[in-house]
Parts: sequence; structure tokens; C-alpha cells
Amino acid sequence: MGPEFVLRGYPRRIARAVVDAMVPRWPEFDVDLTDDVLADVERTLRGYPPIIQVAILGSLFGLEFLSPLFGPGLKPLSRSERHIAIARLETIANHPIPQIRMLVMLLKVTISFAAYSRPDVEAFLGYRRREWRETRQALRARLLAADPAKLPAVPAPLADGRVVTPAEFLSFLAALADGHAEQAAG
Amino acid sequence: MNERVQGHGPVDFIAEEQKPAAIITPADTRGDLFITADVVVVGSGAGGATVAATLAEAGLRVVVLEEGDWFPTREYSASVPSMLSKLMRAGGATAMMGRSPVPYLEGKCVGGTTVVNGGMCWRTPERVLHEWVSERGLPELSPRGLERHFEEVETTIHARYQDEGSQGGVNDAFKRGADALGWKLSRNKRNQKHCVGSNDCVTGCPSGAKQSTQYSWLPRFFNAGGLLYTRCRVKQIVTERGRATGVRGVLADPWQPRRFTVNARAVVLACGAIQTPLLLQRNKIGRECGHVGRHFTIHPNIKMSARFSSPVENLQGTHQAWQCIEFRDEGILLAPGAIPLAFMSAIFPEFGPRLAERMRDARYIATGGILVDDHSEGRIRALPFGVPWIQYDVTDADQAKFVRAAALMAELYFAAGAEEVYTPFHHLPVIATPDDIKRLYQRPPRVEDTEYFTAHLMGTCRMHGHARGGVVGPDGQAWDLPGLYLADASVLPGTIGVNPQVTIMAIARLVAEKLADRLRRV
Ligand SMILES: Cc1cc2nc3c(=O)[nH]c(=O)nc-3n(C[C@H](O)[C@H](O)[C@H](O)COP(=O)(O)OP(=O)(O)OC[C@H]3O[C@@H](n4cnc5c(N)ncnc54)[C@H](O)[C@@H]3O)c2cc1C
Repeated sequence: MGPEFVLRGYPRRIARAVVDAMVPRWPEFDVDLTDDVLADVERTLRGYPPIIQVAILGSLFGLEFLSPLFGPGLKPLSRSERHIAIARLETIANHPIPQIRMLVMLLKVTISFAAYSRPDVEAFLGYRRREWRETRQALRARLLAADPAKLPAVPAPLADGRVVTPAEFLSFLAALADGHAEQAAG
Repeated sequence: MNERVQGHGPVDFIAEEQKPAAIITPADTRGDLFITADVVVVGSGAGGATVAATLAEAGLRVVVLEEGDWFPTREYSASVPSMLSKLMRAGGATAMMGRSPVPYLEGKCVGGTTVVNGGMCWRTPERVLHEWVSERGLPELSPRGLERHFEEVETTIHARYQDEGSQGGVNDAFKRGADALGWKLSRNKRNQKHCVGSNDCVTGCPSGAKQSTQYSWLPRFFNAGGLLYTRCRVKQIVTERGRATGVRGVLADPWQPRRFTVNARAVVLACGAIQTPLLLQRNKIGRECGHVGRHFTIHPNIKMSARFSSPVENLQGTHQAWQCIEFRDEGILLAPGAIPLAFMSAIFPEFGPRLAERMRDARYIATGGILVDDHSEGRIRALPFGVPWIQYDVTDADQAKFVRAAALMAELYFAAGAEEVYTPFHHLPVIATPDDIKRLYQRPPRVEDTEYFTAHLMGTCRMHGHARGGVVGPDGQAWDLPGLYLADASVLPGTIGVNPQVTIMAIARLVAEKLADRLRRV
């Protein structure tokens, strides 16, 4: 437990089955994320306090042995086929009793955070988050370096005048930071 | 006086490059620490940093102890799990129990929760302040009494409207809907300097635009000679002859277990609305008044989102440029809220293949939230072995507000041109057409069917004009223990219905000024 937390043996097998059921898959996306995400999840779990780590282990065993109650199939989760595992986990995740939903929810959030923060997943979905951040940082640095007098005026509260589009704003700022403030303002 | 470093050069902002000498990490010291100061402040978030700067500028020797680490802005990475582990308590895996568990986040780093918040800056509504004056016996908290503190806070944290156009498509879509319906919007002031819409508020602003306490109060504190020790977890409040005279705790040095002791003329706790009452309870302080850990309000929220036919580019823009205040009198606030992809994946009830299909449309999905003024009160208790127990039940009356608000939000999104609206209600996760909105009323979702979230934790050691009504008096001093002051979200006398950081900072200023006066007189 604690920062040295590792998933070994049986709990690891269950965790792998849960991750395998929960990671995103698209026909056009040719990467199986299961092992990478499992490693990320394990790293995240190390940052959780021991009591949550114990709770996670408890939920894993709960899912392993209790999930057959939520059908389909009778085998423990880690020995079930993926589509069966998914069907059971979905039933649990939508159960009317919140405490039962909790068996899945923390794992779902941890796994989704790991999977959807991946640059390849982001890029597949049309997000270039790292590049976006870099251009923002660079733009802001240039903006701050520009003559403060030329910075765009702070707008008044809503309802007086239009809101410019993001594209207009960005080209305005870029031109401003390049020292073409008047041209930009025009 | 302070154990080590005494002088240091001027500090402009502290998050950008080199660690200032005034921030002392375990690597900078050896062995156990024994420190003496006029005032020891525990916590460097909204309340702690404000108190510390105010006291240090009044000429007092002040030490801040912070349990979390210091991270320069360049270390705020794009990886959500890694940032949650670095910046949040328990890696962000925190939830309160009740009819439906409510996840929440607490910052644990230099700057506290101000490092991970959305940056919205609202003064306490006047109606709330009048209530505090009349019902809680706190004339100091009148709008007039707090006016100059609000001004000072807003100047220091740079509470300003966004630069035109930086808001991004999610905010635009929201505005389009509100405008179409003729609903009143209010532009948000945010504590930012030229926010360029990186949309990463919750994992630490990567451009340095957000003026968290790292960029605002802490530089003022350091410039006035203050010192901040990181990775110091306060566990014990030391008392002598019925007065608080210092604190003790453990220093999280990765190499060896170490301890620290700080002796001071006054102790200020600013650990936040959850950690402050827990610390008091573990030290058996405030038992007599019976209010520690009670009156917990959370300004709960639910997430709504909608898919549009053209991209709204959730990635680009600011978290929340405006709010819809049309229904304020009913205690309902509707707001856009751009969030990174990973957070978006967490707000949908699906997972695996279904979630993957939903997320295909991520660029077309605008996310938002609904906040309601809550009428329920939760409770925080320290169980044996240091385990916290946090209980909060959303009431049926508040749930009725959520249902109405969800219907309004769906209406707004459809008016903005949405093709489909997503709710946090398990039995009706998708509203496919405007006509479907009525299904929310036909079979209203129960509390148990709803996924909530909260970011506004308050009131667990409330301030009150009378010793029997709260934990601290109007000067922030604990009724039960002279020398112990509280100055964070826990002292808010009740729910405020708006984002709380400005209120917390204004009250922290008030507490600090009174404390400085008192210490100078003695
Ligand atoms: C995601 C999110 C978004 C938000 N958005 C907004 C917003 O837009 N506008 C707004 O006004 N508010 C917002 N808030 C809320 C606001 O940030 C908090 O209410 C505010 O920061 C609380 O201030 P505080 O001083 O009570 O505690 P914090 O800011 O949380 O600071 C407490 C500090 O004390 C430290 N600490 C705790 N216990 C100990 C101990 N035993 N020893 C040493 N140190 C300790 C913690 O590590 C922490 O750094 C948001 C919050 C979150 C989580």
C-alpha cells in the first residue's frame, strides 16, 4: 500500500480485464491500449491514499465475483469474454443504487483519464492539445512583451457590443505581438 | 526567528522559473526543524496566502507551512492523471458519501486550490452579506465593511473580464442559446492576465495567465520577508495555559522521516473547508461549541453537454467566460464550462465502446454545468486512524431545482442549435429533441439517479457573532481557544451561491488586519 502500491497476481488479472473492457477502441485506430493504460492506472493508484487503494482492491474483487449476478454469463469477470465483461460493467455502472455504481465509477474515471489523456487518442479525436498549449504559451509571452498600451482594451460587461470570434481574436493577438497592432486593430 | 534563509531578493511571480529562496523544501534543510515566528499560517491557498501577505506587510514575522509541493508553471503538463497526482489531495480520488456520492477536488500544492480552480471571481452577493449581518451577528461582514477588502483582493488577483474573443466556441454556443431565448448573461471576471484560452485551468494554467495565489498574494508575502515551507503536514496544535502557541507535524522528506515544531504568538489555520475541521477534531478543539465539521455546504453542480452540427472546439477557449443569471433568484446558475478531453470522458455515464463512440464527436460537444444554492448541510468527521468521513445528502428540494435547471439548460442548448443534449441522469442520459425535455418532468430523476460534482466547499467552522453559534468569532479567533485563528473556506457563515475565492480572500484580509492590530498592541 501507499506510494509503492503494485497490482500483482490475481488483482492484476482482474484489473487487466476491467481495463480491457473500458479502454476506447475504434476500427480506424490501430492501437490496443490495454497494457499501457493498465500501467498508467497503476501509477495513478500509487498517488491515492491507502484507504482508496484498499477500496479499489475491494471493488476489483467485488467485480470479479459479484458481477455474474448482474449477468450475462456465470464465470468470474477476469475469465469472461470482453463483450460479457462490458455488458456486466455497464449494468453495474447504471445500477439504481449509487453505492453499487461506485464499484465501477472510480475505476472508470481513472481509466478514462489515463486513456483520453494520451496524445495518440487525442490526436485521433482531432485534438492537438500539446501543440495548442505550446502555441498559447508562446503567444502569451509575445503578447506580454508587447507594449501594454497597445494591448486590446478590457471589454465592458456583456450586452454592449458584439463578441468577436476566436479566430478574429487570435489573428489580432498574433499580429499585435508581431508589432502590427494598428493593422490588427483595423 | 526563522530557522534558515532570512533574506531574499524581490519576487515578481513565483511559478515561472527558479524556485525563490523564500520557498524552503525539505531538500533545503537537514534534521528536524524548530522555527519561531510571530504567526504561523497553515496552508497557502486562497485564505492562507492572503492572511500571510497581509500579516507580513504589517511587519510581522510570518511562516507559512504547506503540505503540498511547489511546482513551477513549466511543470504543468498536459497529462491529466499526472497533474492530478501532483496537485490534488489523494490524487483527486475524493468523494463525499450520501444519497448519491459527490466527488470533489482539493488542491494540495503551493497555492492550494487556487492553482486548480476555474478563476471565476465573484463578490459575495449583498443579500447574503445582509443575512450574515442580521442572522449571524456579524456586522463586520456588511457590504460596506467588506468593500475595501474586495477591492484589494480584486486588484491583487487581477480580477478582470477576459480579452475579447479568447472565450472559444463552447462559451459562444452557450451565449448563442441564451441570447436566442433572451436570458440574461453576466460576463465573468476571472483572475487572469491575458488568458489566451489554453483551457487547462483544472490541471494548472500552463501559460501563467491565471493569477492563483502563486502569482498574487505569495509574491507579496515573500517581498514582505515571509517564508514558506513545503511538504510540512501539520498534525498537532500546541497549546499552553489554554492558548494556541504553535504547531507540530511531519515533514515529508523522501529520504528520512522528519518532524517540525513552530512556536508562534498566533496560529492561523487555512487548510480548507475539509482539512481544517478534521485537524481541529483530531486535536479535540472546538468540541464544546458543537459546530466543528457541521453546516457543510457544497454548492453542488451537475454537468450537462450538447452535440452541435459543427465543431465547437472544446479544447480551445476559456473555462467559463460568462454565466446565465436569469434564474439567480431561484438559486440556479447555468454556465458553460470548457474542459479538457479527459474530463469530458469522465462526465458521460458510458464507458468502453459506447464512450468511445460518444467521444468521436468530442470536437462537436459543448460542455457546461449547473450550480444550485443548496439547503442541505453535510458533516465532516474524523474517524479513528485518521480516516475522514464526509457526509452530504442532496435534498429533494434541491433536486427539484436541478431538474428544472437541467430542463432550462437543455432548452438553451437546443436554442443554440444543439442536435442532442446529454444529462447526468442515469435514466435519461440523452435528450434527443426539444420535445423530449418534458420527459424530465414526467419522470423526474431521483437524487440516487444523478451524478453530481462539487468544487465549492464551505462553512464547516463557521464564523458567528455569538460563542454558541459558531466556531470562530468575527475576528476569526476560535471561541474555544485563544490564539487560534481560522481564515479559509471553513469560516464562511453560510452558503453564498457564487464561486467563493473572492469571499474567502476578503474575509481572510479582515481576519489578518484584526490579528495584526492585536499583535502590535501586545
Ligand atoms: C476544480 C475547481 C474549480 C474551482 N473554481 C473556482 C472558481 O472559478 N472561482 C472560485 O471563486 N472558486 C473556485 N473554486 C474554489 C476555490 O478555489 C476554493 O474555494 C478556495 O481555493 C478554497 O480556499 P481555502 O483557503 O479554503 O483552501 P485551499 O485553497 O484549498 O488551500 C488549503 C491549503 O492548505 C493545505 N493544507 C491542508 N491541510 C494541511 C495541513 N494539515 N498542513 C499543511 N498544509 C495543509 C493544502 O495543501 C492547501 O494547499 C474551485 C475549486 C475547484 C476544486
